[in-house]
Formats: sequence, structure tokens, C-alpha cells
Amino acid sequence: MRAIRSLCWIVPLVVLPILVAGCGPRPAPTQTPTAGIPPSAPTATPAAEKTRITIVIPEDPPNFNASIFDNGYDALVMELVLLGLADIDPYGNVFPELAAELPTEANGGVVVHEDGTMDVTWKLREDVLWADGTPVTADDVIFTYEAIIDPETGLWVPGIDYIDSIEKVDSHTLIIHYNTIYPSYLTQFGGEQMVIWPAHYCDPEQGFVAWDCGRQPLSDGPYILQEWITGDHLTFVRNPNYYQKGKPYIDEILVKIVPDDAVQKTMLVEGDADLMMWVSEAIVEELKNEPNAKVSIAPSGRWVMRLFPNLAARGTIDPKSTPHPILSDVRVRRAIRMAIDVDTISKNIFYGYAKPVWTEFFREPYVCPVPRPAYDPAGAAALLEEAGWKDTDGDGIRECHGCLNAPEGYAMKMEFMTYAEYGEPLELTHQLIAEQLRAVGIDLQLTVMQGNVLWADYASGGIEQHGDFDLNLWDDGYAGIDPTDFLWEQYHSSAAEPDAGWNVVRWINPEFDALLEETYTLDETRRKEVFCQIAQLLEEELPCILLFTTINADAHSARLSGVQSTVNDIVTWNVADWKVVP
Amino acid sequence: MIEQSLSGAEAAPEAGRPELWPSTSTIARSPGQMVWERFRRHPGAVSGSLLLGLLILGVVLAFLSPYDPIQGNLGAKLQPPSWKHPMGTDALGRDLFTRVLYGGRISLTVGLLVVVIVLAIGVTVGSLAGFFGGWVDNLLMRITDAALSLPSLLVLILAGAVLREVGGDFFRRNNVVTIAVVIGLLSWMTVARLVRAAFLTIREQEFIMAAHCIGVPRWRIVTRHMLPNAVGPIIVEATLELGYAIMEEAGLSFLGFGIQPPTPSWGNLLSDAQTHLARHPWLAVFPGVMIFLTIISVNYIGDGLRDAFDPYKVLAKVGVV
Amino acid sequence: MGTYLIRRVLQAIPLLFLLSIFFFALVNIVPGGPLAGYGRSKHIRPEKAAALKRQLGLDKPLVVQYVIWLVGNDWMPPVDLDGDGIAETRGTRRGILRGDFGYSFTTRQPVLKEIGARVPNTLYLMGITIAVALLAAIPIGILSAIKQYSFFDITLTTFSFAGQAIPEFWLGLILILVFYSTLSLLPAGGMYTIGAPFSVGDRLRHLVLPVLAGAVGWVAWYSRFLRSSMLDVIHQDYIRTARAKGLSEWVVIMRHALPNALAPLVTILCLDLPYLFAGAVFVETIFSWPGMGRLYYQAACQRDYPLLMALLMITATVMVFSNLLADLIYALLDPRIRYD
Repeated sequence: MRAIRSLCWIVPLVVLPILVAGCGPRPAPTQTPTAGIPPSAPTATPAAEKTRITIVIPEDPPNFNASIFDNGYDALVMELVLLGLADIDPYGNVFPELAAELPTEANGGVVVHEDGTMDVTWKLREDVLWADGTPVTADDVIFTYEAIIDPETGLWVPGIDYIDSIEKVDSHTLIIHYNTIYPSYLTQFGGEQMVIWPAHYCDPEQGFVAWDCGRQPLSDGPYILQEWITGDHLTFVRNPNYYQKGKPYIDEILVKIVPDDAVQKTMLVEGDADLMMWVSEAIVEELKNEPNAKVSIAPSGRWVMRLFPNLAARGTIDPKSTPHPILSDVRVRRAIRMAIDVDTISKNIFYGYAKPVWTEFFREPYVCPVPRPAYDPAGAAALLEEAGWKDTDGDGIRECHGCLNAPEGYAMKMEFMTYAEYGEPLELTHQLIAEQLRAVGIDLQLTVMQGNVLWADYASGGIEQHGDFDLNLWDDGYAGIDPTDFLWEQYHSSAAEPDAGWNVVRWINPEFDALLEETYTLDETRRKEVFCQIAQLLEEELPCILLFTTINADAHSARLSGVQSTVNDIVTWNVADWKVVP
Repeated sequence: MIEQSLSGAEAAPEAGRPELWPSTSTIARSPGQMVWERFRRHPGAVSGSLLLGLLILGVVLAFLSPYDPIQGNLGAKLQPPSWKHPMGTDALGRDLFTRVLYGGRISLTVGLLVVVIVLAIGVTVGSLAGFFGGWVDNLLMRITDAALSLPSLLVLILAGAVLREVGGDFFRRNNVVTIAVVIGLLSWMTVARLVRAAFLTIREQEFIMAAHCIGVPRWRIVTRHMLPNAVGPIIVEATLELGYAIMEEAGLSFLGFGIQPPTPSWGNLLSDAQTHLARHPWLAVFPGVMIFLTIISVNYIGDGLRDAFDPYKVLAKVGVV
Repeated sequence: MGTYLIRRVLQAIPLLFLLSIFFFALVNIVPGGPLAGYGRSKHIRPEKAAALKRQLGLDKPLVVQYVIWLVGNDWMPPVDLDGDGIAETRGTRRGILRGDFGYSFTTRQPVLKEIGARVPNTLYLMGITIAVALLAAIPIGILSAIKQYSFFDITLTTFSFAGQAIPEFWLGLILILVFYSTLSLLPAGGMYTIGAPFSVGDRLRHLVLPVLAGAVGWVAWYSRFLRSSMLDVIHQDYIRTARAKGLSEWVVIMRHALPNALAPLVTILCLDLPYLFAGAVFVETIFSWPGMGRLYYQAACQRDYPLLMALLMITATVMVFSNLLADLIYALLDPRIRYD
């Protein structure tokens, strides 16, 4: 998510007490564990001047372990210093990092057994060193796995339940035994959220979620953390022993905390910042004519702005016994979709950068041929008439006259909710959609909530978990290339129970549940087929009304080259390839 | 103190400075008339009142605008100020002037509600403490201390959310009331202290004791004899509170906790304008100017009232020292 | 005086205790738990949520959570941390009464360490802001009092009202647009140039805009206050006497009137002490200043209960004691007031 008022999302930390001005020179920077290595190691290129870029982000990363919090800023810095077994590029291709090659069925790295389990053999590169000179080995992978599954201090990460055990073959080879077919095995210990942690350096007693090495990491990636002044900045220097020889090209990276995005943008324009993450459409538009700034836009969006129609009556969670008086009828949902003019919203609020999306399967590698629904307010009106929603008293708002689940005369009025943190574009979209639906006789009362009230768990009074809404609007989507976890928590019947998942529209469909099971196969053709069957089912039932993706873009200075925005990972995924061109 | 100022007021006419203290004042006049007389001679207070009056008039007459504050016209979005749209239009093509006027309704309503809440709580707590003294006073003042110990912005954010949750649908739907109640609940302490202080001063004076002796009921002593003596500082404080409340709402909006759209308020108009600052500055300028003018006029009125209720200070000008 | 002091301090203890209950209830009743903020995808997986709840102690009843917060859980029976139904893990918390404010939910760092890193920055910024505000406010206050209703007074009054009438965040953005963007004179924010050697000039350059944005409101507040207390003083008999003795106006004002007019200002300054500590969220946000204001705000948004509780309690304590200090100083400066 790119929260416009994203000040709100996390908290800073402390590595060093900050010096009060006037008390003398700044303290010597905290050395990372790699104290033995001079922070400013000689660069590969005999450049006279050290190159340095500045990345501006609105708040401190909570730590370097993106599996815990995953607010994006942790992933950003994690990519600078740590490596996973494999990673994903912006186009959805997986490439090896610590692995010597990607294990597949073809090269014998993956063996599927008759009982439906599988084994994956990883061979690690032998030339990757931790910054203290220790090689990265199979022990580190096993250590990481054991830390995650520790019941007291570990955490759930995608697919972790599918692993039975990890077996060490030799110092650089290991076999992961899965208890099922797990198609996403390639990015399980890599990708956006996961990295391998140093066994000899992290303290297992402190545990995965709280260990100090998550805040003062021992690097095996392109950069080494040199200094972290909480709330102010982090400094990274080039790792001279990075396994890709000659890389990274840039000597020093400064990550500066600048909370206000208007100020971030100004700094970029003035040349004091080189990279600004997750820029909004308005800023992309503004930067178009700035000679100092460029914008990298990801090949596709990730966050799909969508409507969540509650299929169960307000405050209930059973769509069968207590159906929603209005939204439980699929014709009404379809009419709502037909009545919303996505192109107008995109053009007027998102500067044309929002792309219409109508199915979950809109980006590689799973793109399904679902035809785009037309914007057709007249058709929507006709469909509502057909569904028994007519305006007979002439007040412009329809009432139930022979509709499916509401009493006769029930007015077509609902609450329409969105969240505040996104800022102005969502506010305006919210209002515009209400206007467009009002035009076909649906009256919406607008409410704007704080996100952490909307999405809180049941015990904390979360509005969605309680089903205490009619129609909600916000952006959701998944990282990486495997949609199964996302589909499960969004649509699976067992995710409809309070606090069991996020099927908050309470869509119960056994056919979907069965299809989702079938996606657990290594046969990519079959997988695509099943996903497209799911797409068809979702299109027929419309449990969720997808509208458009917002832009996924990162702005950078003109002197910085190699930046490629991505929705599968974070912008620093290829930081070792970045160059500063004078 | 009160005694001094009263005698000061009487001394004034003798000083013979007709421009500030007209000779007519030798005629017997009620304290209210005297205050008014002084107030209307305070240049800042008069212009402040005129300005605030104009603002209120504009806000009340907002319905005369040919434009709708919520429904937009995308064909006319983000237009700079013109004759047709004196303050330009916003991103949905809504007339900013209309929205600023409607926003003013909300902001001023918040302000007034806060004043009412502050007066209700502050006067009650202050009177009880000042009148009864003893353990009542001690308890109420400790509560006041406690309320003063709350870090207000942080508590504002939290309390707003609590009120929407616990207060049920009413507070969830009536953002204006919610914001006002929360701001009000966190700002009554000054008034309470002022009232108490005034009461403590008056309580021991002969005319109150006399009233007690002849059997005047307590509530009557409070409302007829004690409260009027505290009215000056209360009114001044209440006026200033109107300004504070409008500023607090703007601040909350900047942090995303203020009045929620589509309802416009000066605060959320201003904070939404942030993204447009470079390219569409009018969106930020006009709500900012409205806040600015309101606060300035409110401050001037407060200033004038202060001088008017405390003639002692006015005497400096008159030279009776 | 001594007994009064002891009584007030003793009264502060139950007050703070009650406040702690109020705060604890407040942060916990606020809808939206700390888990709601986890993750960009807004939705935290139930498996992850369950583990986090146990680890953060959120699975216990509120009363128990409060007791743990107050007196720790190292003396309590073991708890079930791994979710297998068997209580085997000993608590390690010692509670705030024994100086343990707990760990931040988000960073898992000791709360006091988090706060400790921000306090100096905030003291630094707010100290200078208030000092600058006073330096400007004192002459303005004096002059506009002795020249009440003059052109000078009206101009200054207007300016100081204007200072109060501009929202800080708005002023901050404008200052950046003008002095950073357009004129390229001053940096956009931060405390110093990162990577550059320490220099006083550099620090000062970084201070100008935030101090300016922050001080404007304070100047208005202090100068209006001083003006009114100055007006009170110059009408007193002893000032008349001083004038009658033939002292110069300068001596009358500076030697006789000013010290007495400053006394209430000192009291007000004591009451403002908590701001030195609490910082200013708007200025810190616009000028990228790593201070307490932002920490507060983030803790509130994030529902980081331990951090929030610590911030609330520490601020409340500072406020209670600065109130006490204000009363004492008032008594000290004004011998007519006696506490017993």
C-alpha cells in the first residue's frame, strides 16, 4: 500500500542516542558487527570521488526482518544487506541469489513422491560470505527455518506449515521435505519477505521476532549497515566482498527519514534526494516536467481498488440465514459494477494512471481472458429493475418491489465506507462512486474510518471482522507471484469465520474451495487452467467488485540509473545494479 | 482586585478624557452598558467583530450559492479563481468558494459547540469548587489537575476513536459533534480555574455573607451574585476557545483525524490541499485565509473584551495612574 | 512550605495511579488493535496474529495486562507462550514500578531506549524555540504595554495574533517552499547535514526554519501574556511612587515594573515545561525532526501500547510536577502567597 498520509504506519528505533547539538562532534558511527572491515572499502572502479545516493522514506523501518512487520520500509533495507535463496524480478521471473541454480523437476532438484509429498534440493553458491568472512552455508538456512517455527518466538510465514523438515546434505546442500505439493517453493526463502539469517551471529535465545541481528544485521548482500540514527537516517556502505564481483556500483546509500511527502518531493526536485518510494499519481504527474526527476513505473499494479459488498446482513456473518437485504443479490452487485465509470475516475482523480481491472488474474504469470465489463448506467438501471428494485415514489431512490431478500418497500440505502490514511485520491474516488451510484438510484451514506479500526481483529472491534458494514472501498492485493494465499484468505469459506481469515464479505462457495485445492500442483499449465476457472467463477458470482489498480511507481533523480519499480518485490531488489551517471 | 477595578472605573470620568470615557458615564449605568461602551471604543475589537460577523453571515448564507458543496462537475475541475468561481474549483470541479463557506459552517459549529461544552463543564466545576470549598474544592481541583496532565493531541486522537466506538452510531455519524465533544472535554480546565478563583475572591465579601444571613438560597447566591462577578474572564476565555477549537480541528485534519470528507471543514480543505500546493495553490490559500481571519478576529474580540471587563487597564491610556 | 510540598507530592501519587488506570483503559478501549497495522496488505494472517498476540501478551484479560504492566510478571506462574496449551514460560517483565516500561510492539526495543533517543532532540528544538520566542516576546510585550493602543502596539498585536492564526504545518510547508525550494538558502529539514563534520553553522542553518515555524505561536502567547501582566503592574502605587521620585521612565520600567511583571511569566513558563519534552508533532513532521512529537503520533497510530503508555505516563508526570513547580515559584516570587 502506498499510504499518502503514511506517517502513521510504523515506529522508529534506537541504535544510538542522538546527540544534542552543541555538545561536540557527532559520535563515531556505530559499527555493524563487521567492525573488522573498514566502512569505506575501496571500490571496484578506481573512481576518484565516492558516489552516494539518498533514499527518502517517511519513517524508520521497524527492523531488517520483513517477515514480521512488512510495511515495505523493512523490505527496502533488508534488500540492501541480506539475501534469500532466490528472488523475483518485476516481470515475475525467479532468479537465484544464494542458490547456485533454481531446483526444478527437470534438473532433478525437485522430486515429487507418490504420496503427494515432495522434496526440494537446494545447492548454495560457495562464494557468498557474511561480512565477517564466514561463508553462508546450509546451516544458516536450517537455522532460519528453525527460528521461524519456534512456537514461542517464531512467526507464521507463507507456506511454512507445508515443510516437514530440512535435511543437511553437506555444507552447501540441503533438502527441504514438504508434506504436500507446494508450488511456491522457489520463493519461500527469498522473494519480498524472507532472507537467510546468519546462524553464528543471531542469538537463537532472543528469537526470530526480537533478535538483535534484525536491527544490526550481519550483511551478505551488496551493502553493509554502517550507522542507524533512529528517526533520522541509516547509512549503508558498499560491501567489498559482495559475491557479484564489481558490484554494487554505488559506494554509499543514505536512507533518510522524511515524514512529509510534499517535502520528499521537493527534495527530489531540488536534487537532495535520489529515490522516493511509492509515489502517488499526483506526484508522478508533477514530476513529469522536472528535469531532475524520473519515474519508474512497475509493469503492472499490485493494489486493486475494490468494493467489498457484505453478502450477510450488517453485523451478522451468515449469508444463508441472514442475507444482506440488498447486496446478497448478484444482479445488484453486477449493476453496481456497471454503474461505476472507472475511466472517469482514473482520468480525473488518478491522472489516467489507474488501470481498469475486473478480475484477480490480471497480472503475470496468471492472466485470464475475462472480458472487460462495460460501463453502462442504463443497463445497470435495467438490471436493478429486473432484480425488483424500482423507484415508485419518485424520490430518485429505489425501493424493493419484489426483490430477493428485502421486505417490500425497503429503500436502497446503504453505508459506504473507506479508510482515511490513503488521503485525497481515495476520498474523491469514494465521493465520485457514490455520485455515480446515486445516479442509478442507490443511495450511499459516506463514512471514512481509520484503517486500523476497519481491519482490526474481532476482539478489538474490527468493523470488517464483525461484518458491521454494507459496502467497503479500499485497495488490496498480493506480493510475489503466487496468489493462492491471498485467494484463500479472501474467498475461502473457512476464512469467513471471525478472525480465521479475511473473507469478510462472507462468500461461501464449495466449488471455489475445491478449485483452490487443485492449484497445489507443479504443472504450470494445469495451474493456469484452474486459476482461470476460478476467475470465471468469481466473475459469475462477483463476491468482490474489482475496479482498478493504482500506480506502483518510484521516483528517482535523473542521475540515478537502473531503478526498476516492481510489484513482486521492493524497489531496491536490484540495488547492486544501480549506477550514478554524472 | 475586583474592588480595585470597580473603584478605578468610577475614578475614570473624573479624569475627564471624553474620547474614551464619555461624560455621559456620570449618569448611572449598568455594568453591562459600561462594558459595551468600552468594548465599542476598542478599535481592534470593533473590526474583529465586524469581520467575524461577516464570516458568520457568509457561512449562514452559503445556501445562496448556485453550486453544490458535495456534487462536482468534472468538466470544471481545478480551475483557478475567476469571476465564475471566485476561489477556483477543486479536483472534482466543485466551487471552492461554496465549499469554503460550507466548511466554515462546520468549523464554526465545532468552535461554538466546544465553547458551549467548555462553558458548561468549566462553569459547573469552577462554581462548585469555589462555592463549597473544602473537600469538594480539593477533589474537583485534583480532577482539573488530572485533566491538565493529559497530553492533549494524543488523547484527542485516541478519545475520538473511543467515542465513535463506545458512543455508538450517533458519534460515528456525527463527526462534528464527536470532534467538538473531544476537544471540549480536554479544554474546560482554564474556565473552571477562572471561575473558582473569582468565587474564592468574592465568597468572603460582606454582601455574600449578608445574602447568606438573610436566607437567600445558595443557588441564587451563586447565579445572581457570584457568577456575574466572574463573567468577564469567562467570556474572554470562551471567545479565545472558539479560535483554539478551529485550530485544533485543522491540526487533527492534517493528521487525518479531523472532520471526515465529504463534509468540508476548513481543516480538511487545508490539509487536502497539501498535495496541490505547488500546482493549485488556491486550494490551500483560501481555507488558510479563512482560518487566519477567524482567529485574528476572535483574538481581537477577546482582547477588546478583556480590556472592557477590566477597565483598570484602559486607564493607562486615560492616564489615571 | 515544607509540609505543603510533601503534601502535594503525596497527592501526586494517587493522581498518577488513577491516571495510569485511565490511560490503560483509554489505549485499550480505542478500537483497532496493534495487530491491525501489521503489514502492507492490511490483513494480518490469523496464524501470525495468534502468535503475535501470545508473544505480546494481548491474549490475557485487560486487568491481568494492567497488573503485568504495573508490577511485572516475573513473579507470576508461567504462561503458555507457544500455544500448545501447557504453561511453561516464565515471565520476564518487571513492571513500571520497578522501572521496566516494557518493549515496543513494533520494534521490540525497550520503550525507554526509544524515548531516550528522542528526548534530547526535542529538548534541543523546543528549548531553542521557546528561548527565541521569549527573546522576541519580552521586548514586544513590554513595549506594547507601555505604549498601549499606540500604532506600535496595534501593529505588534496584529502580528502576534497572526502568528497564532497560521497553522504550524501550513507555515512550515510555506517556509520550505520559500527558503528551500525557491531561494535555496536553507535545508529542507533534519538536524544536521549527514556525513558532514560537525559545525555550529550547519546546526544553526538546520534550526532556522523549524524554530521559526514553531516560535511564531509562542511569541504571540508570551507577548500577550507579558503585555497584560505589565499593564497590571504599571498601574500599581509603587510605580507611581517611583515616577514621583523622579526616576527616569527607563529605570521605572526596567528596575521596578519589569521584575514584577515577569513573575507571572515565569509561572507560565513552568506550566509550559511539558512542551519542552512533548515536542511539536507538526514541526517535527514537516522538518523531518526526529523528536517526541512524531514518536507520540506514530505510537498512537500504531497502537503500540507499551510505548503509548510510557509516553502518556511520563508526560503526565512531567505535567503534574511542572504544575507543582509553577505554584512553588509563584509563591517564591510573590511573598504575599503562603502555602501551608
